[in-house]
This record gives sequence, C-alpha cells and structure tokens, in this order.
Amino acid sequence: MGAYLVRRLIHLIPTFLGATFLAFLILQLAPGDFLTRWALDPKIRPETIALMRHNFGLDRPVLVQYLIWLKNLLHGDLGHSFMYQQPVLEVIWPRILNSLILVGLSIVFLYLIGIPVGVYQALRPYTPGDYAISFLAYFGIAIPNFFFMLILIYLLVQFKFAHGWTPFPIGGMTSQGFDHLPPWRQLLDVLWHAVLPAFVVVTADMSSLTRVMRGLVMEVLGQDYIRTARAKGLPQRVVLYKHALRNAIIPVIATIGGLLPTLISGAGLVEVVANWPGMTPLLLDAINQQDLYVNTGIIALSTFLLIVGNILGDLLLAVVDPRIRYG
Amino acid sequence: MKKAIIGTLALTLALASAALAQAFTWPASWTTAKPGEAKRGGTFVEATISDFRTMNPFLSAEADSIPDRMTLNGIGLVTRDPTTGKWIPYMATSWKVSKDQTEITFKIRRGMKWSDGKPITADDWIMTYRIHMDPKVGSNLRDSFFIGDKVVKVEKIDDYTLRFVYPKPDAEAFAIASYSPWPAHVFGPVYEKQGADGIKKMWGLNEDPGKIVTWGPFVVASYRPGERVVFKRNPYFGEWNKDAAGNPLPYLDAYQVNIVKDTNAELAAFLTGEIDQMNPTTVEQIAQIKKAINAGKLDATLKVNASPIASSQFVVFNWNKKSDPFKERLFRSAKFRKAMSHLINRKAVVEVVYGGLGTPMYGSVYPVLTQWINKDAPKYPYDPEAAKKLLAELGFTKKDAEGYLVDEQGRRLEFNLATNAGNKQREEIAKLFVDEAKKVGVKINFRPIDFNTLVGQLLSKGPDRPFDAIIIGLRGGGLDWPFGSNVVPCRGNLHMWNRSGTCLDPRETLMQYYYYKGRTTLDFDQRVKIGYKLQEVEGELLPIVYIAGPNYHTAWNNRIGGWHPDKIISSIWRSGELPLLYRAK
Repeated sequence: MGAYLVRRLIHLIPTFLGATFLAFLILQLAPGDFLTRWALDPKIRPETIALMRHNFGLDRPVLVQYLIWLKNLLHGDLGHSFMYQQPVLEVIWPRILNSLILVGLSIVFLYLIGIPVGVYQALRPYTPGDYAISFLAYFGIAIPNFFFMLILIYLLVQFKFAHGWTPFPIGGMTSQGFDHLPPWRQLLDVLWHAVLPAFVVVTADMSSLTRVMRGLVMEVLGQDYIRTARAKGLPQRVVLYKHALRNAIIPVIATIGGLLPTLISGAGLVEVVANWPGMTPLLLDAINQQDLYVNTGIIALSTFLLIVGNILGDLLLAVVDPRIRYG
Repeated sequence: MKKAIIGTLALTLALASAALAQAFTWPASWTTAKPGEAKRGGTFVEATISDFRTMNPFLSAEADSIPDRMTLNGIGLVTRDPTTGKWIPYMATSWKVSKDQTEITFKIRRGMKWSDGKPITADDWIMTYRIHMDPKVGSNLRDSFFIGDKVVKVEKIDDYTLRFVYPKPDAEAFAIASYSPWPAHVFGPVYEKQGADGIKKMWGLNEDPGKIVTWGPFVVASYRPGERVVFKRNPYFGEWNKDAAGNPLPYLDAYQVNIVKDTNAELAAFLTGEIDQMNPTTVEQIAQIKKAINAGKLDATLKVNASPIASSQFVVFNWNKKSDPFKERLFRSAKFRKAMSHLINRKAVVEVVYGGLGTPMYGSVYPVLTQWINKDAPKYPYDPEAAKKLLAELGFTKKDAEGYLVDEQGRRLEFNLATNAGNKQREEIAKLFVDEAKKVGVKINFRPIDFNTLVGQLLSKGPDRPFDAIIIGLRGGGLDWPFGSNVVPCRGNLHMWNRSGTCLDPRETLMQYYYYKGRTTLDFDQRVKIGYKLQEVEGELLPIVYIAGPNYHTAWNNRIGGWHPDKIISSIWRSGELPLLYRAK
C-alpha cells in the first residue's frame, strides 16, 4: 500500500508538468496577448505597450516563460495577474472559497437526495412513483444549468411583482449590510443565497446519480447472496443497508475523487447567471483578457487536485471494497 | 449615472477671498431638484458588469474603477460644465494662461481636506504626478502627460499655487491638468523609501478600507470580491462642496456598486428595485422596463435614445498592398471608397443591428459631440445608383457571367472583408454590406476572424499588409479635440488605412496639418473652426467609411432624485451628478 502511494505520487510529477506545459503552450498559441486590446486605445502610445510587454515578460520565448513560472511555483508563487496587478493566489483564493460553498452545498444535495431517491426507485420499479421520478430525472439531465437558473430568476421576478417579496434572493451571495450581521446570521444569509444555485448546479448530476443508483441497487438486489440473506430471514432494512447498498455504492464512491477539482473549478455558467462571485466569472474574464498567469494558475490547481482526487478515490475504493488491494 | 462633475466660475471667484474654506457651489442647472428640496441620508445603488481590479489609482486602467468613482471620474483642478462643455475651476479657484500659451498657473482652493482630515495642498498634485510619471509603476495616466514625445511639467510655486508647463500650446492642456490628486502623506513616504515596487503593493483589493484616503464625496467602506463595493460619505467633502442653497454635499450617506456579471441579472435587479439605475442597451431590456413601469410594478423613469454613444463602427480599406497592385490602386481611390459608402444602407443597419436605437455616421466625429459636427462636410449616404456611376468612372462598366463588375482587362471587382468573430453586430453590418454590394455587382468575401488576429492585421506596418478591408470600431476620445492623435497623423499606429509611414495622398497631408494646427490651439472656438476644415478634407478623402453607432438610454428608480435635466442627459454627461443625487422616497 505504502509503495503504491509513493509510486502514484511520483507519477504525479510528469503528469503535472505535462498538463501545465501544454496549458501554457495552448494559451500562448492563441493570437495576441493581454496587451493586444490596448493597441486599439487611441490614448495609449505604442512605446508604452512595448514597455508593459517587456515588464510582463511577454516578449520572451514561451519555454523561458514557462520555466520561470515553474521556478516561482516551487516557491509557492503562482505568478502575477496582469488584470489585477496582484499575486494570482490572492486573486483566486477568495473566489475558490466562494465556489467551495456553492459546490460543497450542491454535493450535499447530490448525495442526500440522489442516493435515497435512487434506492427508493429500485425498491419500487415500474410503479407510478418510479416513472414520475424518472421523468423528472430526464428533465434534469436535459436542461442546461444556466438556462434553468434563468427560468428560476424569471419566476422570482414575477413572484416579486405579484407579492412584493421573494422566497429566495435574485442572485448574489450576500445581502446588503452583510458585514454588520453577527456570524451566525452571515452563515444563514450565505446559505439562503446558495440554496437555489446549488440545487440548479446539481440537477444534472443528481438526475444521473438517481438513474445510476436505481440500476445498481436493482442489479444487486437480484443476486444470489441477497436471496440467501432474505432466506435467512434477515429484516429488509439489514438486507438493504448492510448487504445490498454497500456493494451497490462502490462505483459511486470511485467517482468521489473526481469531485475534488470541481470543488474549486467552480459551478460553471450558473455562477455567472446567478451572480455568484465564484471561479467561473473570474476564469471567463481571465480567458477573455488573456490574463496568462490567472489561467495557468487555475489550470495548475485543478490539475493537481484532479490527480490527488483520483488517488483519494482509489484509496476510498480499497476501504469500502475488501476485494480491492493495492500492492 | 457615473460621470459626475461640477461648478460656477462667478460664484466661486466671489467667494474666493472670503471664507476659510472656499466653497464650490454646484449649479442648480445641473439637477432637476429644486433648491432645498433634496433630503439627506440613504444609499444609491448601481451595478457594473466588470469586477474591480484594484483600489490603487496608479494601477487602475479602466473607466469606472474604484479610484475613478471616488474622484468623480478622475477630475481635479478643473472640470467640465455639462451645460456648455467648457472647462471651469473646481479644486482650483482660478487660472492664468501665459502669453505664449505654454504655461498655466492654477490657484488651488483653500480649506480642502482629505477624507482623513489632512489639508490638500500643491504637494499632493506634485507627488501624484511624480508617481504617474515613473515608468516602473506602469500608470495608465503616464501617456496623458506627453504631447508628442515631450513631457508636460508640473511645478509647485507655493502651497496653493501650481504651474503646468507645456512643450507647446495644446488643445488638451486643461484635460491634462484635470488629473485627480492623491494624498502625498500616504503615497509619498512609501514612494521615497521603496520606489515603484512599494507603490504597486499598496491599495490592492484586499487593502483595509480604513487606509483608503480620497478628496471625493465618497470613500471606500467595504469591498467583497466579485460582489459589491460600498462607499460612505466623506465628511470633509461637504466643507467645500455646497448645493445652490448652501447645503453641504453629498446628500447620500452611502453609494454602492454591485458587480453583476450578466446583463439578464442586472435587468432583474433593476426590475425588482435592488439597483437604482441602469443603462439598458437592447430593445428587449427597454421593452421589459417599459412593461414593468406601465403595469405599475416599477416606479421608474426611462429615457430612450437620450443621445448617440461616443463609439463608431466603420470599414477601413488597406492602401498597402504591394503584392496586388490592382487592389492597391482600387483601395487608394477616393472614388472607390465613396462608392462603397453609397452602398452602405445605414438606415437598415440602425434598424437591423441596433433595433432602431442607433444613429448613422458619416465622419470621424461622434454625432453626440454636436458642437464639433460640421454639417456641411461632404457625405455619401446610401445610393446604389451613385455607387454604380462612380464605379463606372473607375472603368467597371461590364459584368461577367456571374453578374459581377469587371474592368477593361476583365478583372473582377472583388475583395475580402473581415471582422472579429463573435461580434454579432459587426457580422450583421457586414452581411448587409455584402448584400447591397452584390446587387450592383461588387463581390465581397466576408469572413469573421479572431479578434486578436484582426487587430494584428490592422496594426501591421509596411508596404504589403495582410488584409483587404476590415469592419471594426473605436470608442472614447477627447472632447477638446475629437480627432485621434494616432489616427489622423500619417505615422500614427491607428492610421489604419495606410501604415507605410508616410502620407500617400495630399489630402492626408492636409488632414495631418489641420490636426496639429487644432491640437496646438488653446482657444476652444478657434479650434472648432479648424475641426470643421479638417472634416471637409476628411469628407473629400474618406479614408474610413463610417457606418453607425448605438444610442444611449438610461433608466432610474424614482426613489432617487436629483438627476440631470433632459437637455444634459447624454452618453457624455450621463444621467446625473453623484453628489447631487438624493433619496426622494
């Protein structure tokens, strides 16, 4: 087990280098750079742009830029944002935290709702309840998140017109005057803002999880050892939770590690539409503006977390499934 | 409302010698509120689409940054009177221009204080200037202190007198002098000790707001990344800024800007009253606001088509095509470009591209700058017959088998047209142009390409540049001399049609002559006359074929009062002055 871990961690290095260098290269292959846009500003002299390009190090060969970036990375420095004129980590850190809240809450929804609903369906297959949930699940998979969020915002605006108040806020992460609230009210306020977008973010995943869980549990329930357990006279609860679910859930656990990078990479366009100050709006800005080091910083962090997440997923698998051994 | 500005000369001069704090009185003509009507207190909330980058005035690069918002859009000694467009004293009380017009001496208003209570003196302007000028800081304002290659100097005469020394008389002398001062007692010690690096580390977005100091009406109270910035009233501002009734300004306790990354979300926020003001840009947004107002769900005021916006869309043809002499000769011909202008159906562009909410353009001066527009300059409006006639004069009289015009040697009238992919408005303009051209037998191959590639082609230099024609736009530019310093002169890097480095057409040389003549004329009315002449030559040469631009619309929630009277609501002066806004309901 220990040797396996070490080997995996050593594998991490070339993967990380390859991924970040590729990202660096592709970002630089795009025509122009952060300063190209400035060239169309009639107020800025070309000399100034040349000077800035030099100051930003953008006039050096890509490989040299990458090596310098790598060297700084070893000192824990992800580089400097052109847009913000600040260290990249300082720029993305608050956004990571914000995205974490949203994605964290959505993962809670995912498992808290997805698993029980899937099990419920598996126990009562081909009933009206099963069909109704399946219909909703297909709807959830099909509808694009950002569009679903837009519909909800539209409904909230109409609700506000009709009643003068709204059950959920229309976008944002905190209420006005947030800074003057006591900590527990702040927490409630953020959660109140997060509920709707978190639910929207997870609709597709939740829908597919219920489908997967339904299939897995149904499959396991048809196996011989379950029949044996039932024949022994074990109560349904024990059969289901101790024998069936533990086996059925293994493939789901294997995917948990993959969630790690999504935790920081943000909730996608829902963040833009719901006006949630997470990673996605920042990343979109950075891509539009060709803010090189913010882009590479985000890619480097996600790559790292993806690799670590996969390792964690494999280890978790060994914990829940005694048949799996790493050597 | 973002643009916010100030003052009356007569009143301030009268008060100048008297009081300890020489007050600036905000004229009653800048607001719809009657004197004494405005109440104190409350918050005004607006939205912005792009997150803030920094609180540091020496690093901020974009309009409506936090430093801009704290200083009424970066004004200082002087400001513009929106009712006349002329410069008036603001943080100065008066000025004197030297005989050769290369020196302006400003008397600084006495009794002004920073938001931390320290006095504002000449040293603040000097230190601010020094830091902006340090190339290692990388300030965006540095270039504004250059006239050509020469630097404008700022000198301290005494604590309350400043002298600006210009290399030559300049149209933008007052614009240059209007830069906003920042506290020398805050930035000075850091700059002396740590230089540019020290300055760059200051006032980032994670700075403690308690350390932010400004002279303006509001100072940062809190910032939440990607969410909002809240400003609170600077109590010292009211000591020298009064309304027409003598009350201290601003009226509001606080001013808040929400960061809303999505225009749908912004509209939702305005419709539900979460923000007090917005500038709708599309027909759909305007329709939604109108509907909500008419249904009695939203108590707001909507001003549609208040003015054109200072931005333009145009076609530029490449004069430097050594490898293709046929096209080069064509693109260098004014007749050809006039024919192309006759083929652009600007009315259709306004209808289709801007949903009827736009203004046609025929020259480089934005239509919103009404006092600058020479109505008698030549125009070439939509007229396919006139286009045919001009093309026939160029030798394109016959058509080939596919119906396209050819010259004597059988060469087809055909060229490529590019714009940046993803810009729907420009793509629509291009399609309209292609269709109209096809009708008279001109073949245009339209292909949208990546923005940065496009800019690269546009800015390329030399005798052989890699494009035929490009549709692109520019925005911004001066109110003092609305011709681009790097567009009109033949060596400018935005002299997009001809980047051979020299003037190729005598009319280019003449335009360049008028450009510099106007640029070095300090007197406004004289300058306008030179601008008129420049536009006449421009109309003859037509180096760029202008198409149209969008209009400015604005809407505000009626719980906020004190907005501009209708005649000064425009994309230049915007909808109101921040210090004059008040909570009406």
